[in-house]
Amino acid sequence: MAEKALPRLTRLLGIMAYVQDQGESPFEELAEHFGVSVSQIRKDVNALWSAGLPGHAGGDLIDFDAYLYEQDVASIVDSQGVTQIRLSTREAVALVGALSSMLASGAAPDVAMSANDKIRALLGADDPVTVVPTADVDRAIAAALQQAVIRKRVVEVDYVDAADRRTSRTIEPHRLVAIDAVAYVECYCRRAQDYRTLRIDRMVGANVTKEPVVCPPADASGFSLVPQFQATVLAARGARWVLEDLPGVRLYEVGDDVRATFDVVDVDWVADRLLAIAPYLRLVEPEPVREALAQHADAVLAAVAG
Amino acid sequence: MVADAAERLLNLIIALTHAPRRMTRDEIRDTVEGYAPRPRGADEADVKKSDAAFERMFERDKDDLRRMGVPLRTVTDPLDGADIGYKIIAADAAMPPLDLTPAEVAVLSLAAEYWQGATLGDDARLALTKVASHTPHQVTEPMPWAARATASRDATSMLVDAIHERQVIRFDYTSSSSGYGHRTVEPWRLVVRGGTEYLVGRDVDKDETRTYRVSRVHGTVKITGEAGAFERPAEIPSSIFSDSMGGHAVIALRPESGHALRARATPLDDVTARDLAVESASIGVTASELANVHAPGEWELFSIRYEHLDMLRDEVLSLRGGAKVISPEALADSVVDFARRALEVARG
Repeated sequence: MAEKALPRLTRLLGIMAYVQDQGESPFEELAEHFGVSVSQIRKDVNALWSAGLPGHAGGDLIDFDAYLYEQDVASIVDSQGVTQIRLSTREAVALVGALSSMLASGAAPDVAMSANDKIRALLGADDPVTVVPTADVDRAIAAALQQAVIRKRVVEVDYVDAADRRTSRTIEPHRLVAIDAVAYVECYCRRAQDYRTLRIDRMVGANVTKEPVVCPPADASGFSLVPQFQATVLAARGARWVLEDLPGVRLYEVGDDVRATFDVVDVDWVADRLLAIAPYLRLVEPEPVREALAQHADAVLAAVAG
Repeated sequence: MVADAAERLLNLIIALTHAPRRMTRDEIRDTVEGYAPRPRGADEADVKKSDAAFERMFERDKDDLRRMGVPLRTVTDPLDGADIGYKIIAADAAMPPLDLTPAEVAVLSLAAEYWQGATLGDDARLALTKVASHTPHQVTEPMPWAARATASRDATSMLVDAIHERQVIRFDYTSSSSGYGHRTVEPWRLVVRGGTEYLVGRDVDKDETRTYRVSRVHGTVKITGEAGAFERPAEIPSSIFSDSMGGHAVIALRPESGHALRARATPLDDVTARDLAVESASIGVTASELANVHAPGEWELFSIRYEHLDMLRDEVLSLRGGAKVISPEALADSVVDFARRALEVARG
């Protein structure tokens, strides 16, 4: 299929802006810079060369240096005033939204703040997004992990897992990841002897050692977990927003209810999500999910009584 | 004739930028490379077909140009209001200098990955090409950072568009207080706070300023009505996101449990607990309630600020008995209610 119009148009304008700013530019440099092949750059330059004012009279077209073109170098003789278009609101929001999420998580490099400020300045009064910072992540722990990732050093952490067990782990950190504005570190965990993705806000301490990281990063992302089985839930429509976020979910409207079929990786995690929408639930299948849900509910009620 | 849409759009941009005053649809159709000129000497049916094809193509091209941020001006003939022409002012259209460092450009490149399959991912990629246009080439090492939105919804990009165009929207929503229903809203702003996206706007039916959690919007957002349908207030009312939102809760935790909660909470020792009991009006706990629960070694008391009662309820529930709510009463009651309702479904 042919490339979509907007990515190509944006690159065509980009080549014009880049070559005007930087002067003579080898096709190979343009190809690397814009992430396409050299032959695509040649096609792009040809397309630009034959673009111009209506009528296409001599002197009304974009013009490149023909001698340099033969040597695979772009050099503009006449630009016809063509250059890059400003960012649209949506484009700027797409950048700002992602950066804000990283910044809010605490898992962002220092330059994310200045990059964010520069893009937000473009939006000016038209900026449709406000980001209110909060302080859930321990900044000292986040900063320690940043240093460890940059300098490739082993870290000793005190970690509290989802089942609320506190453990000390020695990890080899590879990358900091912000997922839905929550910060994680992708690492090799020596205690588990496997790759893990650990939430930074579940760390109560982090100590950067002098020992270098030796394990290579995992090929796969830490989130490609294998589902154990499928579960089905029937719930009132008001629970739909929670069900929409279950992994691999398929939703069907059944009258005023919604039926969700989804993958179960961790039955306790699923039970937590279901407990949060308990008043909406009508039917839960299969039995192991019901049992986990019942156990969680029993434990909550026992605590209230005790 | 140029068949490629990108090349046709490029010629259209050049023509509209250079037009001394404006170009009408007919002038664009007859002269801009890439459009089929009006047929001469054809019969009526062919003319109609050709007219319709041009209209479709030109409307799509206008949408594409606006989507990529080209400020396309409509210039009406002063003598004939129905005679519409188009013009691009070069100074409005050009990208202002950004002065980004190579490190800043590299961090922006993480943004395209963030949105994954959602529509805003396409916009992020276009934005990166634009940013790269005015940045010298430099080979950068892969950065040890990444960002992703697992539940990034097309709802977010629809909301951004609707806010920008000032169009009324309609969507299905589950509120934490009043349950499921339809909402018709004038969207004012997106607010991101603590990783949660909120829409602030005016609920048209209730005629009140409201805040909606974007994650609680079901499925897609429908845009209704014309652009420019309302005025956005210059500033959102500060009361919406002030400290008055939410309140303070007192939670009892088992030793060695609720670590994530502890990290945000203030521990209440005997003295503080007694002081709080004296000021019980402010937190709604009586001295006897505190005394009941404050059995050393079994439970430890914490005071914690919350913004949304239901989020704190979910957190308490997920601790599976490692926590219980002392105050406020509404929170304690709703924890019990949820656990009982879960048992009804699970055990019948």
